Amino acid sequence: MLFVVGLCSTACEDVVDGINDNPNKITSDDIDPQLFLTGAMLANSVAQAGHLNRIAGMWSGQLVGLASLYSNIYGYSISTAESVSTWSRVYIGTITNVRHVRTQLPSDGLIQGITKVLEAHGVGTLASLCGDVPYSEINQAEIEDPRFDDQVSVFNSLIVLLEDAASDLSSANSRITTFDIYFEGDADKWQEVANTLIARYRMHMGDYSGAYAAAQNGISSPDGSMKYIPRGDAALTEGDKNLFWEILEGSRTGDIGTGNSYLMQLVNDSTDVYRGNAKTDESARAGYYVIDESGGRANLGIIEQFEPHKLVSYEENLLILAEAGARSSGFDTGLGHLNELRAYLNTGDFLNANFIDQAYLYEAYETADFESGGMENIDGIATDRALLREIIEERYVTGFGTFMPFDDARRVRSGDGDIQVPFPTNGGGQYPERLPYSDDELNANANAPSEDPGIFTKTMVNQ
Amino acid sequence: MRQSKFYLLFLSCFLCYGVHAQRTVTGSVIDEDGDQLIGVNIVIQGTAIGTTTDIDGTYSISVPDENAVLEFTYIGYATRSISVGSDNVIDVILALDAEVLQEVVVSALGFKERKDEMGSTFSTVNPDDITRSGEAMLLNSLGAKASNVQISRTNGDPGAGTIIRIRGANTISGSSNPLIILDGVPISNSTIYGGGNDITGGRTGGTSQQSRLNDINPNDIESVQILKGASAAALWGSRAANGVVVITTKDGNAGEPKISFKSTLSFDEVHERYPMQTVYGQGRSGSYGATRPEAWGDYIPDRSGGADVVDQSGEVFIADDGTEYYPIDHRNSKVNYVDSNWDAVFQTGSFWQNDLSISGGTDRATYFFSLGRLDQDGIIRNSDYDRTNIRLNNRFILNDWLSLATKAGYTNSNSNRIQQSSNTAGLLLGLLRTPPDFDISDYKGTYIDGDGEVFPERHRAYRRYLGQNSNPIYNNPLWTIFEQTAESALNRFLVSAELNITPTQWLQFTLRGGVDNYEDKRVYHFPIGSAGDRNPGIFNEDLIGEKQVNFSAIGKANFDLTSAISLTATAGWNINDQQRRVNTAEIEGFLVNSKKQTSDLNTAKENSSVENSKRFIRSNRGFGILDFDLYDQLFVSLSGALEAASSVKGTFFYPAVDAAWQFTRTVVNPTDAFSFGKIRGSWGKVGVQPLAHRFQTLSESGFTYSTYSDPLGISFFGGGFRLDDDRGNPNLEPEIKTEWEVGLDLRFLQDNLSLSMTYYQNKIKGLLFGVELTPSSGFDTEYTNAGSMENTGFELETDYAIIRRGDFDVSLYGNWSTNDNTVTDLKGTETIDLTPGASVSSRAIQGFPLGVLYGTGSQTDANGNFILDENGFPKLTLSPHVLGDPNPDWRAGFGVRASWKSLSLNILFEHSHGADFSPRTQWVLRRFGTTEETTGRLTLSQDLTNFAGDLIPAGTTVRGNIDDFGAGPVLLDETWYRTGIGGGFGDNQAYNFSIADATFTRFKELSISYVLDTPGLLSKTKLSSIILTATGRNLFLWDDLKGVDPEVNQVGVDNGFGLDYFTNPSTRSFLFSLIVNY
Repeated sequence: MLFVVGLCSTACEDVVDGINDNPNKITSDDIDPQLFLTGAMLANSVAQAGHLNRIAGMWSGQLVGLASLYSNIYGYSISTAESVSTWSRVYIGTITNVRHVRTQLPSDGLIQGITKVLEAHGVGTLASLCGDVPYSEINQAEIEDPRFDDQVSVFNSLIVLLEDAASDLSSANSRITTFDIYFEGDADKWQEVANTLIARYRMHMGDYSGAYAAAQNGISSPDGSMKYIPRGDAALTEGDKNLFWEILEGSRTGDIGTGNSYLMQLVNDSTDVYRGNAKTDESARAGYYVIDESGGRANLGIIEQFEPHKLVSYEENLLILAEAGARSSGFDTGLGHLNELRAYLNTGDFLNANFIDQAYLYEAYETADFESGGMENIDGIATDRALLREIIEERYVTGFGTFMPFDDARRVRSGDGDIQVPFPTNGGGQYPERLPYSDDELNANANAPSEDPGIFTKTMVNQ
Repeated sequence: MRQSKFYLLFLSCFLCYGVHAQRTVTGSVIDEDGDQLIGVNIVIQGTAIGTTTDIDGTYSISVPDENAVLEFTYIGYATRSISVGSDNVIDVILALDAEVLQEVVVSALGFKERKDEMGSTFSTVNPDDITRSGEAMLLNSLGAKASNVQISRTNGDPGAGTIIRIRGANTISGSSNPLIILDGVPISNSTIYGGGNDITGGRTGGTSQQSRLNDINPNDIESVQILKGASAAALWGSRAANGVVVITTKDGNAGEPKISFKSTLSFDEVHERYPMQTVYGQGRSGSYGATRPEAWGDYIPDRSGGADVVDQSGEVFIADDGTEYYPIDHRNSKVNYVDSNWDAVFQTGSFWQNDLSISGGTDRATYFFSLGRLDQDGIIRNSDYDRTNIRLNNRFILNDWLSLATKAGYTNSNSNRIQQSSNTAGLLLGLLRTPPDFDISDYKGTYIDGDGEVFPERHRAYRRYLGQNSNPIYNNPLWTIFEQTAESALNRFLVSAELNITPTQWLQFTLRGGVDNYEDKRVYHFPIGSAGDRNPGIFNEDLIGEKQVNFSAIGKANFDLTSAISLTATAGWNINDQQRRVNTAEIEGFLVNSKKQTSDLNTAKENSSVENSKRFIRSNRGFGILDFDLYDQLFVSLSGALEAASSVKGTFFYPAVDAAWQFTRTVVNPTDAFSFGKIRGSWGKVGVQPLAHRFQTLSESGFTYSTYSDPLGISFFGGGFRLDDDRGNPNLEPEIKTEWEVGLDLRFLQDNLSLSMTYYQNKIKGLLFGVELTPSSGFDTEYTNAGSMENTGFELETDYAIIRRGDFDVSLYGNWSTNDNTVTDLKGTETIDLTPGASVSSRAIQGFPLGVLYGTGSQTDANGNFILDENGFPKLTLSPHVLGDPNPDWRAGFGVRASWKSLSLNILFEHSHGADFSPRTQWVLRRFGTTEETTGRLTLSQDLTNFAGDLIPAGTTVRGNIDDFGAGPVLLDETWYRTGIGGGFGDNQAYNFSIADATFTRFKELSISYVLDTPGLLSKTKLSSIILTATGRNLFLWDDLKGVDPEVNQVGVDNGFGLDYFTNPSTRSFLFSLIVNY
């Protein structure tokens, strides 16, 4: 008996070796790693432009939740369930796949750069929205429960990663690849995005000179903006369209829109808070920005079926230069960059064909406009503050559809309350300071806080 | 040694001739039935002189003197020794060896062992019990015949699958089927649902599928042994945790050819019918509505009678027989169609099975041949099943050290199944929701719209009574039966061969190989106009093939260690290879409205799809057994199997030990009153293999990402892949069940009363399921060894021959068992849904028995009283919770066997106690208002509030019932049943009211047979006997559930149970059989 048992222990396993390799599905080893990129970019697109983006919009006076779930969340009733899908899109959809591609193609500079930018973009967004998040221990087979790193260290790690990416990309050759749905393999554009993201994270941390330096090498032209671009057949209502359009055309009709949000009042010339003046006409933008909750097809502007959704934009880079420049290098630098943006706006290129014919005007500002009594300083505050206030308001308006207004609101509120965009709360007098952690993460991760800190708790960088 | 024996024989014969005083004794040897025995060994005791009986069963031998003793030995018969004395003619009758007949069991390795020497539980179902039940399906014939072996038919469809569960649940996500060993070789008993079921909701809908064990003809079975405990099964390692069923097919016996012909005719009817209401018409809120889903309409007796007022100016539906249907302006007709609709769907089913077997042989070669044919028409019209079985079993004794046995069976079966369960193209869903005032008979015809446009081949059902829309929403049941097809055609070969080598008396080698190969081709066809997604037409072909190849080499040696201690040592090696291939091809959306089963229905590429899936599993194991026999009363067995399986990382060792002590050999002297006593105990480990092909993290395509109703699909962006978010796990281990049991086997009253008791406990560790991972770890789930579960139980089997008086025998028999199951750990996973898609689901939840029923219910306070709303009605719970436990507290089978002269009788009852069941069909029908429980018509004697909060004044005549939830009487009316929480589907129902106690007693079998073997008849016809049998099966069911058999299962053969949802009904049968033996 022992003999047979002994005999088997050496030979048994050989007999069954390899039989368990899956005969039905293709294993990752069989696939060109680049084929994993498109999926990672889709996951990133939906994470950046999806549910949490809309919630951030509602919590910064840009969107109004009108019915069902969005009306609850608009009034700050939110559960940790709302973050589940976005966390999954970032940590599983994006990170797992970009890390797979990166390990498979270690010497491909373009792939190395792209994957690092996508990783930094996803995690950076979660860190800015939620605060401390898992990063240093994520996606390691031997670690079941990655620890939560503090928000500042996450940003710092991501900046290092993005610097790596920029360096990889600077020496990489571009090559046309359809797998890259953002830039079709243009290494230069990816490198600029890497720098704009560094600048964004430095802004979050209040490091304005660092941000200004990084933005110098950031996105340098409108077509360098990283966008999710819809495509496909107009008859199909989901799967490849503008995400906001999809929800209104689909099962969420009537739930969310711009309504009479503070943003809409800012750009509407019939309101008290209209931001237009002799050099500024927001008429076209006011029309373009309207999100009509009654259905996808009712919308021809910013969420039209095929309208791209900006994720990291040329405008953002100019506005970082403007604010960070004003703060770190002085008034003239700031004004110069603000006027660069206004010059771009004045081309009308940011509008789509449905609104290009409507009135708009963005003439360059002069120093006098910000001096006491000037058109941007009627209430007579300090000239520098007046410029900064205008830049922040411009970030608020131009940043519609991105996380910038929500990020700025929290940052500016913590140190520059005097120049913040004065949108009202949606009730209760308190402004939300963060989005909740994912319910799944809280439940499954032994290193997660025992409960979510709540949406009114300031994150580390906004203390 | 063999040679020297021959020399000795030769020498002694030579010597014999030299000695005088020799004389010759002759005679014949027959068995108790008077048949000649050929090849009986006859030896003069103490010498090597011997002979054998010839082909006529006679012998002749020279004996030295009158003191000689002749010893007659024959396999399977008790040896007899007879002193020669002065007789020259000695005729001998040999009796069958009682030990061989009654006390031998077949072990997991296929060897015959003495039951009284076994330390673990063996339940035996004898072949008479199987054939007498008349079940055409082998599995069903095992029901109620062994303790703690639960056999449940999933429904009454011909050939439907059967759940077999031994000692409760042993796995959560694996198969709960026991391992089936046929003639020493594992065979498939899978129930595969395939791509065809996916069209209509997977396991919760679609058609019922077959259990592959039912391919075997019950008439070919010699014995069925059920090895329940871990120690008996441990040699099969990771495939044995659910027990092992060891089946042996018949062999021929030496002698003249025995020809037997058996013919069985069965009549089957629907076992139970839902009580339907006949007085309220289609509609809502008391008004008739011709396209309403419900029967909450007008009170039919209040109608004027006569023909309906119709509008003949526009639309019309012209049925195939020319009957015209026009839009109804006013309903006058008082006719109800409940019975005629039912009768149009159901019929008295029947089957006719004919079996021919021929067996016989010589002392050197025997054969058994059988040919069986079953033709069955189901209780549902147009459902059928036929099966042809051929078997040839041969056994050859090649010489005195070599023998060979080959067994081969072939099965061909064909069937058409009817769509059922949660499926708008299913039978009962359409039938039972149909209001009583709708006649289903004209289900097909031409619709002409108001503009005169003609639409042929339209489907007319109660929600679209003019066929005015291509999609009828729910199928007309006659469309389900006659227009849709779900055919299955199976060919299966089961072949095994065994070579036995016995070089010396104490050593034996067995080489055994077998192949089980089948191909099941299933064709599903939904013509254009079928309800739901199938509306544009679907044609689907599943080709399912499984092949299992098995080989064992076993060596067995006997040693006498001392005069009182002997040892049998067994060592062996086994390799098993299983391959499964499922190919599914589908055409969706027909260009041609045809019932032809061809891909030409639509040749456009985008309308066709092909999928294939393969599964490969291989395992091999080395094993050894040491069986000690100490002083002929203590039997100890140690065994171990070391196994490597393809789906498991590394090798695993499965040890077992058992011991049996016959204490009546020493401590207690056997008496007539207490004739035998044995105490036994065993311990062992067995496993459940992980699912195949789960080592690697795979890649997948075709995925969609969304955060909240905003999907982006990879297929729209040029395609691509992602790593499967279910992480591969290269470290998978088998689920390991460790079990111990102790038992007592006692016999009293000269063995007339036997009693066997067993208590067991097992713990199952490393239960496999998809554990949810931390999202930031990068994956959603991982299939891993994470859970644990426990079972404890008690089993009792008894048989008592009360009367044994020559030609009058009466025996009582019974079994009783309990099994307590608890899921002890799920590693933080809150629940595992075993029946996804059902609003009341069967789940695994930590701290509860496996399979508990789970859903939303009514809020209660600490004392269990309902928390009521302001109208006095219960309030819904916010989240789902455990509603009931579908595991019975105990189960029993009991019966009487009696015979008087040529007449014999068998009665069998089955009881299941304390299980819960969710008859969801009935619950949903409350919303539809078609069942009797919604038919109450009351004139209120007091003001009452309904669920909607309306106060209905005294004196009002209403449709509904009065109930009291704790705050005084309230009115249960349409607002409760249809629009409230007291009937319907979805998550917002008070499902606590949908749980029923499923305690039942089943009169499972009554059979009477008569054996005609009068010498006169037999000599005239040359027949040896004629046996006539009448059997009633599933005759009565005593339970509290109306219209449904609590053993049916919506999800078919699966780990989830206790649910019904428009599942096809079960049957009651009356059988008549005739056996003619030549």
